[in-house]
Amino acid sequence: MTSSSLPPSFESTDLDALAREFEQQASGITERAEWDALRVEWLGRKQGRLRTLLAGLGELPAEQRKAWGRGVNQLKQTVEERLEGLDAELRARERRAERLALAEDVSLPGRRPHIGRLHPVTLVTREIETIFRAMGYSVAEGPEVEDDFHNFGALNFPPDHPAREEQDTLFLEGGLLLRTHTSPVQIRTMMQRKPPIRIICPGRVYRNDNDLRHSPVFHQVECLMVDRGVTFGHLKGTLEAFLTRLFAPQTRVLLRPSYFPFVEPGAEVDITCPFCAGSGCATCSQSGWMEILGAGMVDPRVLAACDLDPEVYSGFAFGLGVDRVAMIRYGFPNIRMLFDNDQRLLRQVRA
Amino acid sequence: MQFSVDWLNQYLQAPAETDRLAERLTAVGLAVEGREPSGVDTLLDIDVGPNRPDCMNYLGLAREAALALGTTLQPPSVDVPDRPLPSDEAIQIRIDPAAAEACPRYVGLLIEGVEVGASPQWLQDRLRSIGSRPINNVVDVTNFVLWETGQPLHAFDRDRLTDRQIVVRFARPGETMTTLDGESRRLNEATLVIADERSPVALAGVMGGLESEVTGRTANVLLESAHFAPTAVRRGATRLGLHTDASHRFERGADPEACLSAAWRAAAMIQQIAGGNAYAALVVDSGKLPPTLHGELSVSRLERFAGLQISRTDVERILGALGFAPDGGDSEDRVGITVPSWRYYDFAQTAPDGAVWFADIADEVMRHVGFDAIPAEVAAAQGPDAESAPSYRRRHRLQDHLSASGYLEAFNYAFLSESESEAFDPLFDGEPLRLANPISERYELMRRSLLPGLLESALYNLRRDAAGVQLFEVGHLFASSADGEAVEHEAIGLIGGGLSALPWDGGRKIELIDVKGAIESLAAEFGVELVARAEARSGLEPGTSGVWSLAGGSDPVGQFGRLSGHNEQEALFAAELLARTLPAEIPLKAVRIPSRFPAVVMDLTLTHSLAVSWTELTEAIEALRPSLLADYHLKVRYRGERVPTGAVATTISFVYQSDERSLTQDEVNEKHLALLNELDRRFAVHDEEVGG
Repeated sequence: MTSSSLPPSFESTDLDALAREFEQQASGITERAEWDALRVEWLGRKQGRLRTLLAGLGELPAEQRKAWGRGVNQLKQTVEERLEGLDAELRARERRAERLALAEDVSLPGRRPHIGRLHPVTLVTREIETIFRAMGYSVAEGPEVEDDFHNFGALNFPPDHPAREEQDTLFLEGGLLLRTHTSPVQIRTMMQRKPPIRIICPGRVYRNDNDLRHSPVFHQVECLMVDRGVTFGHLKGTLEAFLTRLFAPQTRVLLRPSYFPFVEPGAEVDITCPFCAGSGCATCSQSGWMEILGAGMVDPRVLAACDLDPEVYSGFAFGLGVDRVAMIRYGFPNIRMLFDNDQRLLRQVRA
Repeated sequence: MQFSVDWLNQYLQAPAETDRLAERLTAVGLAVEGREPSGVDTLLDIDVGPNRPDCMNYLGLAREAALALGTTLQPPSVDVPDRPLPSDEAIQIRIDPAAAEACPRYVGLLIEGVEVGASPQWLQDRLRSIGSRPINNVVDVTNFVLWETGQPLHAFDRDRLTDRQIVVRFARPGETMTTLDGESRRLNEATLVIADERSPVALAGVMGGLESEVTGRTANVLLESAHFAPTAVRRGATRLGLHTDASHRFERGADPEACLSAAWRAAAMIQQIAGGNAYAALVVDSGKLPPTLHGELSVSRLERFAGLQISRTDVERILGALGFAPDGGDSEDRVGITVPSWRYYDFAQTAPDGAVWFADIADEVMRHVGFDAIPAEVAAAQGPDAESAPSYRRRHRLQDHLSASGYLEAFNYAFLSESESEAFDPLFDGEPLRLANPISERYELMRRSLLPGLLESALYNLRRDAAGVQLFEVGHLFASSADGEAVEHEAIGLIGGGLSALPWDGGRKIELIDVKGAIESLAAEFGVELVARAEARSGLEPGTSGVWSLAGGSDPVGQFGRLSGHNEQEALFAAELLARTLPAEIPLKAVRIPSRFPAVVMDLTLTHSLAVSWTELTEAIEALRPSLLADYHLKVRYRGERVPTGAVATTISFVYQSDERSLTQDEVNEKHLALLNELDRRFAVHDEEVGG
């Protein structure tokens, strides 16, 4: 059926046939463009077929006009409802297609931000700092190149004494040396201010020692408390508080008398082996214990060298090798690997 | 130091079982670090500190063991030979006045008519058990007595001493001597020697001479039992590179009072084993014998110091067993003590008033009371300590920033080889500090730059198939100042190259601006503006390198560029900044509230010669800066199609915004056009200009 500019021949037009024709067209529609074309063909404002059916309506007698109009309106309603239904179908189909286009393989690896990391020695040092800062300590630092007085003399290493040899000192031409411990920072602090003093001294230290277990560069954290009435019991208590936080809460701490020139009494401090919790393993040679640090009461000669009266003040000090704790914590088999800067290892360590 | 359990038990009233002996010795400060079965015996490896030379022998060790085990020390009884010497010519001993400090006492004991031969089996076994090779009965006895008493002895063949003379003196320039080990040794004035009338016959306290040694033909033996000062022996032994059982003990401080008793003990044993007749010992003192030290211990102070209740009875029992001869003192609280001669050197540095330091005596009591008996107590908090070091606070912040920027923290040694040290220009004046005893040639100099270490670390990773490298390091650099002092600078180093991440994770090739930007971002974090300018630098490709200075200054505080002088295909970029550029304290800054009114963003693309730097462009923009320009930033740099060779298209985004009102497009257009025209007039190039 084609649209005609002529007035419709009402008699020859069969509305039922038109309805069937529309339905035939509508039933084959799958695309939005077809739907648009169909709508324009039947409902178009100017040339729509339903509009043309009403074009010559005015010429009809009143009663016929009414019946014809009712018939056309019925058809129009059918067409509109059918088109609405089709529109909803098409929209649903479109949404499905859109969703399909948006779909992702959710099992794909997410794109991860590139993050850096701190060195294992930094991480352990920071952990130690956190423990001590919570106990009211501050952090003191000092130079790595030192003189004899700060590294040895003030720390009660007499000149020409074999205790100096045990330090394996690296000397610079001209007489200065690379500090063998961070104790010079303790000396500098005690010479600079009066007790109460509660400090930790983290930093790099140097020894003329180079094998799988020893690195010529390593790191220490030393701890110093000086005040009136500081006791050996305080040393033990502080060590226990510190070591049970750094290692497991059930870690046991054992002090054995030992000699360091700058403390009296001096002690080697053992903890229950962190690998076997004291039951004995290859790492602790089945002893269940591991030597972890050196400690003691500050030798009166050291206090006196810093112009503090040993009759008034007492104090304790201890020093811990950070690299060793980092090795224990992260499973580095030898100390030198801490200085290889192998990114494959550095990426794995976290606080 | 190895000790035989069986031998040690000879001096204990109740012999100790090995396990308990090891446990108790360790508990009082003589750590048993190993044990080794030796037949029916066991050898203990004991860590004897350098302050305890008195425990480097069986009697001294047994003294500690007896107290630690609750038994009694049983020293051997000694007969004192009192037969006077046949004549003044039998032997003559003299200490040169110049050597009076070095040799406070020299005891000579003459035994005539010995029969030198092999030692009896038990003596040979004893010596072998501690790894000492038996030689002959006389020498073996001197070694045995050294291990028993700690007093080093030497036996001379008296008849091979010219004029039967003994002189203790320092060697003369050019003197030589052949020691027992067959080595000919050149001596100098620092070497203390025992000489006869003509020449040195022994290195005092170190080793005897070959020419006067006791041999199978020796009939008359002169036993030397002398006290040598630690420094005198140490200087001689160190210079000659010698270390012997004798020097080990003298260097740490022998017992000044043991000379006679040890000589008597040896004489008795030699007479018993090798026969002969001993004469009364000849004792020569230089007048410089160490004094006897006295002190006192307040029991209440000890209790406060230890944090433990200790009875006076226990204090006296412990000090008594260790030879400190406690006396009642004149008060309830104070115990008087006398330091035993074998502990002299450990206590020698006394308090200014000459008394023994409290802590030194307290240590003796505390280690025998037992550290485990002392209750742990946490010191009462007194509020926070002083502010932490500024360098520490700064380092925390910058480590966090750089790791958040994607860099991994590296730690390198601070030592460099000569060539590594020369490879880069330091950011400060001063020659490198040189090690006097470097571990190797690779570690001769202290670093003046972090870049050699970071380059090595980067290459290490690339050789292990890393797709990219991003490392930073914070550490000290070293140099000598003009007046010869050592100066340290903390610095921050950065190296990057290759892919920034895996391709899937959005990784791309790291460029110079990535590394440069990481440092500039760090500086901005600290509120510091760095100004970069091109400058040729060692180790960095010309045309890629530059230095930073602080805005308003010209001293370089940092450097950056593409690394040259390595064989890696991957381009590597590095940067270094002096940490002091960044303040430890960053003043808190209030936030700037953004405008409520919309911004108008206008892009400008300017095609200009590559010779025009970004600095020139920004300076021009700053000079022309329109009133409503809130911000501008570099958007894109493009070289390629439609841009003439030698030129670059720079796109800059300009942000116009007011805090007071919405801007109209017209007013922005007007200002932007004026800026654009001026920039275009000054910098733009066109095809004909470049192509020509």
